Amino acid sequence: MQDNQNSALQKEVAQLMVECLNLEITADQISPDAPLYGDGLGLDSIDILEISLTLSKRYGLQLRSDGADNQQIFGSLRSLCTHIAAHRTL
Amino acid sequence: MTTHPSADQSSWATTPERGSLPLLRFMTWCSLKFGRKATRIALHPITAYFLLSSPESRLSSRSYLERALGRQVRWTDLYRHFFCFASTIHDRAYLINRRFDPFEFEIHGEHLLEQGVGLFMMGAHLGSFEAISAVGKQNAGLRVAMLMHEANARKINEALLSINPQSDQEIIGLGNLDAMLKVEARLKDGYAVGVLADRTPGNETRLPVEILGRTAMLPTGPFRMAALLKRPVIFMTGLYLGGNRYAIHFDRLADFSAVQPDERDQAIKDAISRYAGLLDRYCKRAPYNWFNFFDFWQDPQE
Repeated sequence: MQDNQNSALQKEVAQLMVECLNLEITADQISPDAPLYGDGLGLDSIDILEISLTLSKRYGLQLRSDGADNQQIFGSLRSLCTHIAAHRTL
Repeated sequence: MTTHPSADQSSWATTPERGSLPLLRFMTWCSLKFGRKATRIALHPITAYFLLSSPESRLSSRSYLERALGRQVRWTDLYRHFFCFASTIHDRAYLINRRFDPFEFEIHGEHLLEQGVGLFMMGAHLGSFEAISAVGKQNAGLRVAMLMHEANARKINEALLSINPQSDQEIIGLGNLDAMLKVEARLKDGYAVGVLADRTPGNETRLPVEILGRTAMLPTGPFRMAALLKRPVIFMTGLYLGGNRYAIHFDRLADFSAVQPDERDQAIKDAISRYAGLLDRYCKRAPYNWFNFFDFWQDPQE
């Protein structure tokens, strides 16, 4: 049950990312475990900013600059979704 | 938005800085100890040395000056260009150590900084950033955090501390993925975030603009960031006018505070072309202040 919820969220977040960054791939081409930043999906820090602004609006959560976990949160689509699921207010 | 695969603009980023930190410390010590007038004499042999030993910089200086001056370039022009660069570096020793008394500053557009909200200040490698920062410090309300690429951030931090061990200039390096979240936090605290928006070391999206009658490619990143964070953007430059005189200019560049998402791309384009227009204007007004000593107007590679 939990897994189903997570994969639904993953699909939704991947879709949001593709839309807000105009990525030239489709949502299901984003591998859940590949790094989002740098080498993996190749996003830069402005892309990360754009995603975090979109996600905070959509799910009502705050990402903080002094949060030591950012590296881990944005480590992959899966870890990002785990964070959203745990902290969302919407 | 037009995307161009970027040409390799990284040569400046990989060229090692000439000189070293102990030398920098020694030169700073001499400058402070013997005063600006006396140590300025040393700038002539230094300028001559760099002029003779850097054929590539000489070449790009010549082709830039031809367009900025609109006439044939003589050796004396090249010398003036290199000397102007050397002067601003020499003056850093004083400005970073808050010795403002040797200088005369004229300031234009200072009222633009008194908005009391976090904003972006976009400059270029045109004139002296330290002169701008000096004005900001005298105007006690202004706190500036500089945003730059990680490798530069480290180098500049080391240099700043060699010149003034008490330097409190905050530098945000772009190497971390949460750099932008840090920028957002600083803006919320009412800081101005400074960016030199004319260069990119990486493969970033760039837009073609017209500067001094030729197409150049400018990175969109800095303006995209300002648009996402919905902030006003002020243009800044600290032009060295010769002798002990600097002219600091602030100009309204863009305001993204009310831009809707569907107007964003156009607003970014407009801001970049206005930025290019300001570079054009100040290059003509103070031609020897352009400190991009590489082929800035390289042909866009498709």
